Amino acid sequence: MGHYSDPPLLVLASLANGPKHGHSMIEDIVRLSGTRLGPGTLYGAISRLERKGWIEPLRPVERRQPYRITAEGLLALRAKLTTLQQFTKAGLKRLEAL
Amino acid sequence: MNPKLAHLLMRLYPRLWRERYGAEFEAFLQSRQGGLRESANVVCSALHERISPTREGAMDQDSRSFQAWCVRAPWAIFGLAPIFLLAMAYFVACLYLWSGWKMFLPGADTPFGGPIYGIRNIYFQAGKFYYFGAPVLVGWTTALMAVRQRVKSVWLVVGLILVAWMGSAAQIHASRTAVHGGFGHISMDFPLSASLQSVYQSPLHALTILSLTVLPYLIWLVQKNQSRSV
Repeated sequence: MGHYSDPPLLVLASLANGPKHGHSMIEDIVRLSGTRLGPGTLYGAISRLERKGWIEPLRPVERRQPYRITAEGLLALRAKLTTLQQFTKAGLKRLEAL
Repeated sequence: MNPKLAHLLMRLYPRLWRERYGAEFEAFLQSRQGGLRESANVVCSALHERISPTREGAMDQDSRSFQAWCVRAPWAIFGLAPIFLLAMAYFVACLYLWSGWKMFLPGADTPFGGPIYGIRNIYFQAGKFYYFGAPVLVGWTTALMAVRQRVKSVWLVVGLILVAWMGSAAQIHASRTAVHGGFGHISMDFPLSASLQSVYQSPLHALTILSLTVLPYLIWLVQKNQSRSV
């Protein structure tokens, strides 16, 4: 078992505290989860999230394209993290019972 | 990353993806350190994008995409395309045979028959293997596409039956012009009457091809039903 890796979730979590462009997202995700996304993986996640309407592009800054999370994206992130939290709690409880 | 390499890597993505993300992705790649690991990541992601497109925005309306064709004209993709694919494979087989005839048996009136040894034998055996394997390979490719696109099995079955018929009916002819050592001709035909007779006389051949080509699809169906029941 290595680092947690669910690229779309990591991107959403990274954008939860403000808009970011590709580089910032990658570095933020490393700090957040220890996972370093490759450029292809990052853009794969971005394109899928944008398709779902969970993130949206902002006006480019020089050649960098920032993205921000949408209201729908925040809802989806909250739901996913809540599920993970419940899962973690249940898993830890089982471990405590050992 | 080297701008040329960045551009090349970006070009690996499907056209519709590039139209939306190409410019920013290329700029993003150029600003990165690069390296083998990142390049490999981009190559894998581009392949993934081709296999499973994002379908962002206008991508849903892309009438030229393969998936759109599978929905709009499954008869063409799974009924007719395998026939054309097999015809192309047979054309290559004929070309291969003709080349071998010219290279290894320039004086012979036919590339068939007669003892051949060594490299010649390997060459012609490989050709024979390809010739007999072509219908099965085409069938597997068609079945794989049908599995990936989750199409109804009726057009797949039609396509595979046609491929099996074509594979069992195919006849190769070789001849030279009347002049001694003249130009060699390789031709192929699938005469309807002869083919019906052929299928009647050698149903095993057609059935073998059909069984081999249908088998992976049947395995997939069984696995799908098992996973549903679980």
